[in-house]
Amino acid sequence: MDLKWLDAFLISGLFDVAMVMGLALLLHLQLGLGRIANFGVVGFWGIGMYVYGVLYVQVDWPFGDPWQFLVCAAAATLAAGVAGLLIGWLISDLDTDGVLMGTLGFAAVVQILATTQDDLTGGARGMGGLSFPYDIGTVKQNEFLWLAITAAVVVVILLYVWWVHRSPYGRLLIAIGGSEPLARSLGKSTFLTKLGLFTVTSAAMGFLGAMNGVFVHFLDIGTIGVAVTLAAMVGLVLGGTARVWGAVIGVILTVGLFDIVVQSYLPLPREWYTQAIPVLREALFGLALILVLVFRPLGILGDMRRDRLMRKIHGR
Amino acid sequence: MEFVTQSLVIGLTENAPLVLAAIGFALLYRLTGLINVAYSETITLGAYFGMWINTTYGLDFYAILIPTGILAGALSVATYLALFRPARHHNVGALELIIISFGLSIFLRHGLQFVFGYPERFYDVPSPDTIMILGVGVTSFRLIALLSVAILSGLLYLFIQRTTLGLQIRALASDEDLARVSGIRPLAVTTLIWFIAGVAGGLAGAFYGVGASVSPLLGWRQFLLILMVALVGGSWGLGGVIVVGVATSVALAGMALQFDQVLYAQLVLIVAFVVILKVRGSKLTETAKV
Amino acid sequence: MVADVVVAPAVTRPRIRIQGAVKSFSGRVVVDVDDLVLGDQPIEGLIGPNGAGKTTLMRMIMHSTPLDRGTISLLPAGGRETVLSSLPAHRMAHHGVVKSNQVIMDFDKLTIWDSLLLAAAEARYEQPHRVFSERTVFGRHEDEIRHYLDYFGFADPTAFALSAGEKKLLDIVRCLLLRPSFLLLDEPTAGLPDELTDKVMTVVKDLAAAGTSVVIVEHDLNVIWSLCDEVLFMAEGSVILRGAPHEIRANRTVVEKYLGEGHV
Repeated sequence: MDLKWLDAFLISGLFDVAMVMGLALLLHLQLGLGRIANFGVVGFWGIGMYVYGVLYVQVDWPFGDPWQFLVCAAAATLAAGVAGLLIGWLISDLDTDGVLMGTLGFAAVVQILATTQDDLTGGARGMGGLSFPYDIGTVKQNEFLWLAITAAVVVVILLYVWWVHRSPYGRLLIAIGGSEPLARSLGKSTFLTKLGLFTVTSAAMGFLGAMNGVFVHFLDIGTIGVAVTLAAMVGLVLGGTARVWGAVIGVILTVGLFDIVVQSYLPLPREWYTQAIPVLREALFGLALILVLVFRPLGILGDMRRDRLMRKIHGR
Repeated sequence: MEFVTQSLVIGLTENAPLVLAAIGFALLYRLTGLINVAYSETITLGAYFGMWINTTYGLDFYAILIPTGILAGALSVATYLALFRPARHHNVGALELIIISFGLSIFLRHGLQFVFGYPERFYDVPSPDTIMILGVGVTSFRLIALLSVAILSGLLYLFIQRTTLGLQIRALASDEDLARVSGIRPLAVTTLIWFIAGVAGGLAGAFYGVGASVSPLLGWRQFLLILMVALVGGSWGLGGVIVVGVATSVALAGMALQFDQVLYAQLVLIVAFVVILKVRGSKLTETAKV
Repeated sequence: MVADVVVAPAVTRPRIRIQGAVKSFSGRVVVDVDDLVLGDQPIEGLIGPNGAGKTTLMRMIMHSTPLDRGTISLLPAGGRETVLSSLPAHRMAHHGVVKSNQVIMDFDKLTIWDSLLLAAAEARYEQPHRVFSERTVFGRHEDEIRHYLDYFGFADPTAFALSAGEKKLLDIVRCLLLRPSFLLLDEPTAGLPDELTDKVMTVVKDLAAAGTSVVIVEHDLNVIWSLCDEVLFMAEGSVILRGAPHEIRANRTVVEKYLGEGHV
């Protein structure tokens, strides 16, 4: 495979876009449908990444890749799912303030544990030793394959979200987001539903975290900061929290624009890239979040259109 | 016994700004209903304002407190008038308001980083005297911070609970329409609340700053603790915030002495607070409106 | 009339027993019911002046307002007693206890179809792994829902409920789709045009005839007099009188406290 047209920056830029898109799609289920503001997205993603990394590097497995990857990734998914279950149980009957505290607190706990358990995680020094679960040739070819696999995973998530909108489950999530007391009076266990939602979406976030660990090869506690949550949130909000394609469009316009166009194609002075650009990126993301929510709270795509959807699937 | 006195002294002197910051945050939360994540940057900017006045005009630390408080208060009011008030007028929901404040927090924090860069900065103050209290060495700045915080907290408490203006503030918080009919001007009173909260946050920042150093992440590092103290303590009023804040400060210092890593203390506190919130929250679940 | 041939209605009809139930808001006692059984008659009306605690009592039964003290239990037709006041709010519907809302409540992002399918859908289809079950749920409930849609004449069920009346009606149809065995209606006809009020009343009568116990709070007394088999008069938090509609109508206390002289 000749990949001359593809430079390393572009691959990692596209990978970032895919990763954040996956997270934003999952956040859409929580925030856009269920109206649960998860400020700790990075916690679930990070626990997946670190559980994967620690198991992959520190445990002496009797089998090699791809089994080693599959087993470790499954464990990472499970760990994030259990964390989601626990955090979901803690916050499902709290209001937005409690949810903010619970999810933010969880993200902090993950970061603290990744720092303090440095005999396992490498702590602030970071941890290497990760690799792709295959070897098909050059570094670039390996990275490209992993990008393709990640993109496929994100497409699966997108399809799932698409189907959720067309299912009784999605309808229940929207109802809970609209009026929890009314949903309860119709016999719906809002608590269990939110718990299930949190468990499933967190597990998927954990799986994405594991996939990220594979790609970056090196785990660094600096990467599990609030920037990940911000990127997913700003992408989703810009595109439209309530729409299936909101996360896709929004993340292309935010992370895509910054991590691919600005990083790779704008002729900016070299020294900007290490210091100024990442800081500027965060500041602009924050600003975008503010402006969109004040002037167009439902993002580019606007509100969900259940009337159109119902006409399409149940119309006369 | 030594452990207890050490925890008490270190906790109170080192974490006194936490109590002040939590009071400001809780005021805003209880009286306007807003969880303002960007409050952490009010604290950070307070630290920067103080440092700027201190290093530029060579004023000593005590002289900078008043202008620092006013600047931070003005900044807080500016965010209200420029952002949160218009957002309310656009009928932005409660959940979106939190996300907006989150966005503002990120914007300000990275804006500061862009301007000031990463390196930590320091106040230009003579190295403090160390005073022995119950066998623990405490710097004079931290002692002053504790005293100031105690005085300010007391004043704020009295102001809210005992004065006419405080009464108006509480009236506005409990029923805006009724308050309006009673002749209270919501804009003026709300602006005042934002100002007071800003002053409290900014001074807390200055105390944090002079006690250690100033960096763009100063406020954000404290935010989770402040949020937890304000949410959990806030249900018992301002007095609750003060009590829970002091207890948290002492617990933090005590655990930091016990564990080999300070982060474990934070870990325990986060878990404890979330559990408290859960236990309390479960009792409130069924009171929703149908 | 059903009321005249009562021998032991308790055997066939679900009842709700309220014992020592007290609720106060900021020190003011709103409901204080010592011992009350609802559901002896097919349709019971609950009337009383504003602030008598009618709506609060209904919300207490649904556990959407928690009790300060006391218990509320369901005595189903031929089943075992269930203490409702210790169940979470969402379990009420599972026991067949269903209430329509006094104030208009709707899911503003859901269409009429959505709202009704939501009410009808079984929990086993509303799971994260069953995202392909829309067809099944639709197939199972389409006929029943279409029946109500046609009967009440909803213009376009794929659209949103817009008018207050439409939302009110939607609320009632949602309740009907839950197949209530004990139906509480809190001012069901407020804001509805006469012809729809009649249709709602017809459905309620049919339900009651089929074995559902109905309790209705209503300000339109014509509805009460014509529909109810028994009327309970509530004032200052407790039921102070109960009897056949004509007895209540003639009662002096009721007239003085509530109806006013001109109303008899």
